[in-house]
Amino acid sequence: MQEKIRLCHLYPDLLNLYGDRGNILALKRRTSLRGIELEVEAVSIGENFDPDQYDIIFLGGGQDAEQNILRSDFVSVKGDKIKEAVEMNKVFLCICGGYQMMGHYYEEQDGHKIECLGAINIWTVGKKSRFIGDTVYSCDLLGESKILYGFENHSGRTYLGDDIKPLAKVLTGSGNNGEDRTEGAIYKNVYCTYSHGSFLPKNPAMTDFLIKQALEVQKGKPYILPSLTSDVENFARKALPTCKNP
Amino acid sequence: MTHFRAGLAVLAAKGISKGLRLLGRGATTLPGRAALKIYPQILSELSKDRNIIVLTGTNGKTTTTHMAAGILKVRGYTVITNVSGANLATGITTTMIEGIRIRKNAEKAGGRSVYIIEADEAAFAKISGQLNPRVCVVTNLFRDQLDRYGELVHTQSLIAKGLDATTAQILLDADDSLVAALERGRDERVVFFGMDESSMTRNTVTNPLKSGLSETTSDASYCSFCQTKYEYRARSFGHLGAFFCPSCGYSRKIPDFAVSYNIPSEEEKEAALRNGDVPFKGPADTGFPVTLTYAGESVTVALPIPGIHNFYNLAAAVAACVLFGQKCGDTSLTFAGCSKEAENLLPAFGRMEKIPVGSKSVCLLLVKNPVGLERTLSFVSEASDAGGMYLLLNSNDADGKDVSWIWDVDFESRSYPEKVFVSGERYGDMYLRLAYAGIDKDRMQAQPMTCCGDLLDEALAQCPDGKCLYILPNYTAMLALRKIMVKRYHLREFWK
Repeated sequence: MQEKIRLCHLYPDLLNLYGDRGNILALKRRTSLRGIELEVEAVSIGENFDPDQYDIIFLGGGQDAEQNILRSDFVSVKGDKIKEAVEMNKVFLCICGGYQMMGHYYEEQDGHKIECLGAINIWTVGKKSRFIGDTVYSCDLLGESKILYGFENHSGRTYLGDDIKPLAKVLTGSGNNGEDRTEGAIYKNVYCTYSHGSFLPKNPAMTDFLIKQALEVQKGKPYILPSLTSDVENFARKALPTCKNP
Repeated sequence: MTHFRAGLAVLAAKGISKGLRLLGRGATTLPGRAALKIYPQILSELSKDRNIIVLTGTNGKTTTTHMAAGILKVRGYTVITNVSGANLATGITTTMIEGIRIRKNAEKAGGRSVYIIEADEAAFAKISGQLNPRVCVVTNLFRDQLDRYGELVHTQSLIAKGLDATTAQILLDADDSLVAALERGRDERVVFFGMDESSMTRNTVTNPLKSGLSETTSDASYCSFCQTKYEYRARSFGHLGAFFCPSCGYSRKIPDFAVSYNIPSEEEKEAALRNGDVPFKGPADTGFPVTLTYAGESVTVALPIPGIHNFYNLAAAVAACVLFGQKCGDTSLTFAGCSKEAENLLPAFGRMEKIPVGSKSVCLLLVKNPVGLERTLSFVSEASDAGGMYLLLNSNDADGKDVSWIWDVDFESRSYPEKVFVSGERYGDMYLRLAYAGIDKDRMQAQPMTCCGDLLDEALAQCPDGKCLYILPNYTAMLALRKIMVKRYHLREFWK
């Protein structure tokens, strides 16, 4: 029987900054090349979110004005269901603004705190200067293919609570806050990163990891992902200005 | 000059211009920078009693400026414009200073002159009051290099600030909800241009999403005033269309200057509905038939520059000229007269120039942001003479450091020439984007920017005789490639 993964794209009409949809294109490609079906459903403001219906939940970043439009729907209306999905071990990929909104709060430059969902124990402080540039990380989840390439563009500094592990260690770039060399966050199956745009396309091992996790949670048992070449991805990785071994 | 420092500033700027020219270098921003240092209010002095039209917005500034300049030149005006890319305060000041001599010469010969200035949105906010133009045009607002410009609502507020510093007639795109919202509180000064609703092919019934994935980016899905999701009766492209807010009732106004188009054949009409776009190939020698309407009068012209976005640019250019005529009492600038000049327009710098190279040709199409690239990909995928496509992606300051926007572009639902070439500093990013859009790696050749000239040779060699190689660079890649083309293919005579 054909495997099927159901992906929920939260607020795609509002959280669509910096090419975040590229991550869905990557999941689509690396599932379909393996004969796995990926069903994508958009869920936005006022629409019902049922955690049982999905294996992967994707939350991208948006402009401040647009994040303000959806915040009350996200925190007050869908909030409990999203927390439920987190505790059910559903796979989440949260990028930049989506990452920040999963945490406790976002403190603006004037000290005003914007309350966020609090699904994971992280918080963010806004600063004037932005971290912009190519990044390289080392991610222990991925074994041999642990080098991740990204591009960050954010002014928020995110800090992790004691029970939260970083997604990766920063080798090049600023990461969560420019201070502790951490990048992103992991809590249960929630994977967060500041690396937007082409994060998954450039990191096929990460894409495969998320697909595998999603199927294992769905089946409740280990799943072996059929192998797949990464030749076009590797070509692009070697062409990056941050690649040390072209 | 009423202030002695103003005279000094002009002298200094002229001296620097001369010096740079002697060194064989372009002088677009340095002279203006020096003048502004010496006398920060220099623009007010230079603008006093002048005929000035200012354009701002994300896309279409250069083409619209170029079109308006073409129309006014034929109507006997000496037109002074700033070159593309020099649209900050420094570049505009340089242009205004260089314009002094040109204007005086024109006046000596008994002629009239007009400045048509394109301004970056932030620059517009700063200097529009000093320029005090007769007409301000806001073309559209799309997301563009967010690391440079910030958020769209911020850009919108900058433009509002700029408009409020002038007493100009304001010309707004009716179909762009972000631009049209600028009417509030300024309605007595506002005139709208836009596309006739009957000519908008895209709507959710006839044009459902093709890629079956997430929607491509919409820059303005929610109401500017009450944050309810817009509905559309019809769309033209991007977020442009006949929008309305089901909650507060804010809706698109019927444009004063409207453009509509006539699709010549049934077959092309079908293709337009299928692709959600007008076929770009009008009859090659006669241009594409479009109809402009204003105050009950309609004029049909054959526009030699294809693409729905250029229909908008045309409507804006004609409207700007007509309004300018009304403001300065020039009755020769009639609607019919200005519209008719459209038939003689040629493409602007880096925009759809087709250049013969031996038995083949190349066409340069500058691409800077998601909606611009989508328009261009539609154009290339419909071009019957495409013998190859060559994309170049750089990430210098002038391009925007962040190239992730290429993932916001719907590459999936278009078809491409058999051979695709990729270069630029971010050739790996672009190669991967194309591969993920389903272009087989055997069809692609990708090389770093240092090899972009050799790859151009290769692409031209593989382009069949009689066909055209379509080249899609972003800004600094275009500048670099033009230099190489001048050197290798001796193309100097085709651009100045």
